[in-house]
Amino acid sequence: MKRLAAVVMGLALFGSFGKAMAAAPADTLAEVKKKGVLVAGVKDSLPPFGYVDEKSREIVGYDVDFVKAIAKKLGVKVELKPVTSASRMPQLTEGNIDIIAATMTKNPERAKQIGFSHTYFATGQKFITVKGKVKSLKDLEGKKIGTAKGSTSEQNVKAALPTATVLSFDDYPQAFLALQQGKVQAVTTDEAILAGILAKAPNKAKFEIPNVQISNEPYGLGMRKDDAKFIAFVNKTILEMEKSGEAKKIFEKWFGKGTDFQLKRTFKIVADK
Amino acid sequence: MLKYTFDWSIVTSGKYFEWLVSGLKVTLELSAVGIVCAFLLGLLIAVLKMSHYRPVRWIATAYLEFFRNTPLLVQIFFWYFGSYKVLPTAVNEWLNSTNFEFAAAAIALTIYTSAFIAEDIRSGILSIPKEQMEAARSAGFSYLRSMQYIILPQAVRITIPPLVNQFLNLAKNSSLAMSIGVMELTYQARQVESYTFKGFEAFTAATVVYLGLSVVITALMDLYNKKVLNPHRA
Repeated sequence: MKRLAAVVMGLALFGSFGKAMAAAPADTLAEVKKKGVLVAGVKDSLPPFGYVDEKSREIVGYDVDFVKAIAKKLGVKVELKPVTSASRMPQLTEGNIDIIAATMTKNPERAKQIGFSHTYFATGQKFITVKGKVKSLKDLEGKKIGTAKGSTSEQNVKAALPTATVLSFDDYPQAFLALQQGKVQAVTTDEAILAGILAKAPNKAKFEIPNVQISNEPYGLGMRKDDAKFIAFVNKTILEMEKSGEAKKIFEKWFGKGTDFQLKRTFKIVADK
Repeated sequence: MLKYTFDWSIVTSGKYFEWLVSGLKVTLELSAVGIVCAFLLGLLIAVLKMSHYRPVRWIATAYLEFFRNTPLLVQIFFWYFGSYKVLPTAVNEWLNSTNFEFAAAAIALTIYTSAFIAEDIRSGILSIPKEQMEAARSAGFSYLRSMQYIILPQAVRITIPPLVNQFLNLAKNSSLAMSIGVMELTYQARQVESYTFKGFEAFTAATVVYLGLSVVITALMDLYNKKVLNPHRA
């Protein structure tokens, strides 16, 4: 009986912590200007969106350049905080970061929790496999497929391949290691991320990205919902970047000719309908 | 201030409830396999560590120090990813066709916990006066038989409280298996979170279940201690 009482007390204590949590500023725009710092959640192991540059030891990438442009427009400094697919939304809603620039796909479920900017990058979900093994989606039925936890990739692949076993790792490098060791038959996520993984792989000649696409993935910058002023400011900024050609320049810098990816820019930043 | 409305229904019924239940099942399997194997292995290592043969003692000591002093997460990765480099291709292919994620996690949990259990059991054995061993040996029991019939039954009794600690740790440590894609309770809670964004509800449900699991393990060990090992004590 004593033990039960202790358990109940422990639970009550735990519950009271929950209430004290979640105090995020309502007007980020004013708050950021006051602090003089924009805290951005970015990926730190996902070239070319966000990764640690070997020479400068700093996080750089496509996402990072967008955040820097927004901070410049605000006249404040940037503080980069590494986040994972699973941690980025809680980090934002709890007020630890002001904006998410971490390869985040816009979807209706997420839009219920946070606010999205206009699409600043567009891609589609594909697979990396051993060369010649996969011609169509059928070849992956019933197979083990690796991806990262908390990502839309996981949900898309479960819908597209209900018979497959989806193994979710903490991040993509582990999923790719599992592919190299034959523990999974494919790694799935957005093509641009896959191209980044493949570009860095030591034995890239053994793998390929077959032309099998299971979804469209528009990326948006994530901000707190009900933070209309900040969202409007970010949208205005990235539309201006499109107009001035800066957005295209950032794309070419990370994905264009002369990079390992050689992707063509098939999208433009436009206002969402 | 962000408004957050609690919705407990998602974790008490429907699809997400089923996910959590399937996660609990894997956690229970992992814990049960781990507890049984870690106990037996720990017992063996404890006896080896107290052997009269020096090389055997050295091996046991090396085992203990290595597995007690490296992080469990690293050990899980070692068994799952690292074993690939050492094993022949045919074995790897066979392993990959099985549920190797579960096996690697179970091996890591067993070996990691067995090192702690071995030390607990050894301290239990050391607490038995050495005259008992001498008496047993002079009564004609071999070393192993003396251990089996005289020393270990008493030592295990003394070891119950620290053993309960190790079992509880093992049950909770099993959540690390999610890092290699074992779909146990914490993994499923995270799944529920990423589908519904109701992380608070999902992890509270998982917390309550872990708490329940720990209470059950403790109660079972208490019962075992009272009814089987010490039936005459109040």
